[in-house]
Amino acid sequence: MKSKKTWWRVVALLVALALIAAACSSDDEPTGDATTTTAPSATTAPTTPATTTPAGPKTIIIGTTDVISSLDPADYYSTADWELGRLVNEPLVRFQPGSNSVLEPGIASLPVASADGLSYEVTLRDGLVFGDGLELTLDMAVEQLNRLMNADLQASAPNQVGDVLAISYLESIEAVGDNTIRFNLLGPAGFYPQILAGAPFVVSHPDVYAANEINLLPDTPLYGLGPWIITDITPAEQTVLEPNPFYTGTYPAKVDQVIVQRFSTPSAMADAVREGEIDIAWRLLGAQAADELRSVSSLTVETIPQAPIRYLIVNHSDGWVTADPLVRQALAAAIDRDELSDVVFGGAVTPLYSPVPPGFLGANEAFEDAYQAPNNTLAVDLLTQAGYSESNKLQLDLGYPPEHYGVTTADGVLQISQQWEATGLIDVNAIVQDWATYVSDCTNGVAFDVCVLGWFFDFPDAENYLQPFIEGDGLGTMVLCPSESCGDAVTTGTDPQLNQLLLEQRAETDPDRRAALLGDLQDVYAAEVVTIPLWLEPEFIIYRDGIVGDSSLPSPETLNIGPDFEFIYSVLDVVG
Amino acid sequence: MHPLLIVFLIFGVPAVLGLAWVFLRGSESLRRYILTRIALTVPMVLILISVVFLVLRVMPGDVVSSTLGPKASDATRASITEALGLDDPLIVQYFKFLGDVVTLDLGDSFIGARRPIVDELGERLPATLELIIPAAIFALGSGILFGTYAAIRRKRPADYGFRLYSVIVYSMPIFWLGLLLRLVFSVWLDWTPIAGRIDVVTNTTLDRTTNLLFVDSIISGNWEALKSVLHHMILPALTLGLVLSGVFVRLTRINVIETLQEDYVIAARARGIRERAVTYGYALKNAMIPVVTVIGLQVAILLAGAVLTETVFNWPGMGRYLIQRILLRDFQAVQSTVAVFALFVAMISLAVDVIYSVLDPRVKY
Repeated sequence: MKSKKTWWRVVALLVALALIAAACSSDDEPTGDATTTTAPSATTAPTTPATTTPAGPKTIIIGTTDVISSLDPADYYSTADWELGRLVNEPLVRFQPGSNSVLEPGIASLPVASADGLSYEVTLRDGLVFGDGLELTLDMAVEQLNRLMNADLQASAPNQVGDVLAISYLESIEAVGDNTIRFNLLGPAGFYPQILAGAPFVVSHPDVYAANEINLLPDTPLYGLGPWIITDITPAEQTVLEPNPFYTGTYPAKVDQVIVQRFSTPSAMADAVREGEIDIAWRLLGAQAADELRSVSSLTVETIPQAPIRYLIVNHSDGWVTADPLVRQALAAAIDRDELSDVVFGGAVTPLYSPVPPGFLGANEAFEDAYQAPNNTLAVDLLTQAGYSESNKLQLDLGYPPEHYGVTTADGVLQISQQWEATGLIDVNAIVQDWATYVSDCTNGVAFDVCVLGWFFDFPDAENYLQPFIEGDGLGTMVLCPSESCGDAVTTGTDPQLNQLLLEQRAETDPDRRAALLGDLQDVYAAEVVTIPLWLEPEFIIYRDGIVGDSSLPSPETLNIGPDFEFIYSVLDVVG
Repeated sequence: MHPLLIVFLIFGVPAVLGLAWVFLRGSESLRRYILTRIALTVPMVLILISVVFLVLRVMPGDVVSSTLGPKASDATRASITEALGLDDPLIVQYFKFLGDVVTLDLGDSFIGARRPIVDELGERLPATLELIIPAAIFALGSGILFGTYAAIRRKRPADYGFRLYSVIVYSMPIFWLGLLLRLVFSVWLDWTPIAGRIDVVTNTTLDRTTNLLFVDSIISGNWEALKSVLHHMILPALTLGLVLSGVFVRLTRINVIETLQEDYVIAARARGIRERAVTYGYALKNAMIPVVTVIGLQVAILLAGAVLTETVFNWPGMGRYLIQRILLRDFQAVQSTVAVFALFVAMISLAVDVIYSVLDPRVKY
């Protein structure tokens, strides 16, 4: 009995030691350089140091906290959807890397507008073949694009992207001649080529995406016309991409495999890129984490020219204190954006003086021109004219979500409150509200005088930074209420030029004339204080030594990512 | 075969066999007790998920607004709300929900790619099991070992040391401990990985059958994957296990001390039996009985702790999933996940009670 017990103890001890030894001796961790890890085989995945020339295939690991919402092109919604979507399915046209205004051909030629501006035509490139060898035909292309126009399909889609980008602008999509697609518009829209550069306007594989059925998470391998094939996907963990052997476009892959690894927190992603477990950290790291990583010698930290903005929705509807234009203008005049940037973000964000970020067609600094903020003298004067005094202060409700835009939101709100209260004529009641209830309360104009929101474009054009805050309920501004989306809200006294200029610039196809109209529109927008733009939200790309972009394209230092945030994995290479 | 089913078979079959063995060999009262407990599990889970259903529905906020954000038009919101059945009267939603539960239809997630919940759980439940099982083994093993040693070295430095250890580890917030361990071992010392269940590249070589990566790597003979899985498991399991080990240290110590003072133990010493045999053969066995009871209670704490540990270590388990879905008001996912948690705790609790009765023949239900 005793020897049996002893024997079992010895066996148990040996097993435990073996497990511990196995764990601690693991040599599969890339110690500092994941870039040269060889492509996996079934039994071994040896790593090689970064300083040696890779003996085998090249793999790049990209970390992100972005979440996939839909991998059906007719419903591409999140940044992750658009990113993967445009890698697997090359768009009709795209923005040049590093740009958000210059288009280049994708699988089709640049759009050509008809004389009346009511249609655009693109011509498909010859020899387009999907990743599984299926050849593209014109009818196939038109049928797949018409999934965006299929109202029944869109009704079953979680994000209903087609409603926003296709159905609301287009009358039809049709085949013309041998290889031309015509987009017939409901009304003139000079910016529609920018919409065509969006991820939903791709020709997806007909065997994967049926005409009448949404397919949010298709099986792998997922083939398209783009430079990459998705060979494996575990939504909460990772996506694996390999080159499409049939790709004939401008951006063929330079490496053999890209793995997109998902992280639940930016801090875990930051640690992973620091320790070499991933090669690139992309979205959504935050200014503080990015700053800390600048001190790591093996990492490059670059700021992407910004497109997401942070702003205040101002409630214009009757019955709210902000219905008074003098009050709105005073609030706009009292904001010190430089102080906000310095105090809250350590100077990492760029003050924004117009709803349209710099770099977009027609962008100006309308709020700076109108108010020269911070301008407390003007603010006090305006509030006094409005009937407020030290004994009769303006009582203002300012709403914000605690976490949705990051922990700095509360600090930003505090700073803004202090700036307004420094006029001596405003008492700010900052109201924190969980995102799930906040977003509808803010955008329905039912709970706050002013509330914080963030915005990222649906398509990279000034229209998409202006129209949503003017038409309908204006996402809570209510400037053109009553309308069917306004509920009971009514707003009186809005400058009619606001809507007029919006419609005029939309119909204008000449860029110079359109830029002038957009400038005028922003000036009226600022005078009316439709919203109060605050800052451009920085985005960071962090990558390890040995990772390079394409030096023949703009912005190689940001791995050729421009303000449209399109990350073309094909530009990536591993050197050294 | 679905990974979730495989996982249930891996754990369920031995559990059922064990239960059957106890059932057949046990007393009449034990058999009645087991049947009653199994029967009571059904209404227990039903009441729990009904409460969750109600709380989620009356909580402010809705899944459509929280996921689509400010961009969605009212028409879009209304359309999606209708598609999800959220505009039906509450009573209609409830009975539809009950009908789905009875047919074991967990439904689809409301958000993202609207995947079947069973697929989401099929990926995440194994991840959580792969975290809590080694954590529990560590907690129990270290707790019993240290507690016993502290008891036999009573009022000596080792005793004071282990008692201090138990208080310290039990007081530490799991989240903080996890971050600290990650900082020391992963960042400063570079001994362990930062995050995840397996190396990123190695993961692409592993054929997943059960989503229990430890099992899958053994099944497929992928020893690199096995090494990577074990390597990644160390720190998260240690984080979770350390905190719980404090409880077992103290409990084991107290019970061993009491048992060592029992008459039969004194008699065993008097008969000349060696002290080691007295301690481990006589005292510890009997001291384990209350410890077994506490194990059942600690399982629920393990699951709660897993939520925080999964967040720190980017571990794609059910805890992290549940938090995300609560914040996004994904009712379907929350209800289904809570139901699975409840079933899990109920099963463990039943197993503990049965083991208790096997360990102590005096116990009659």
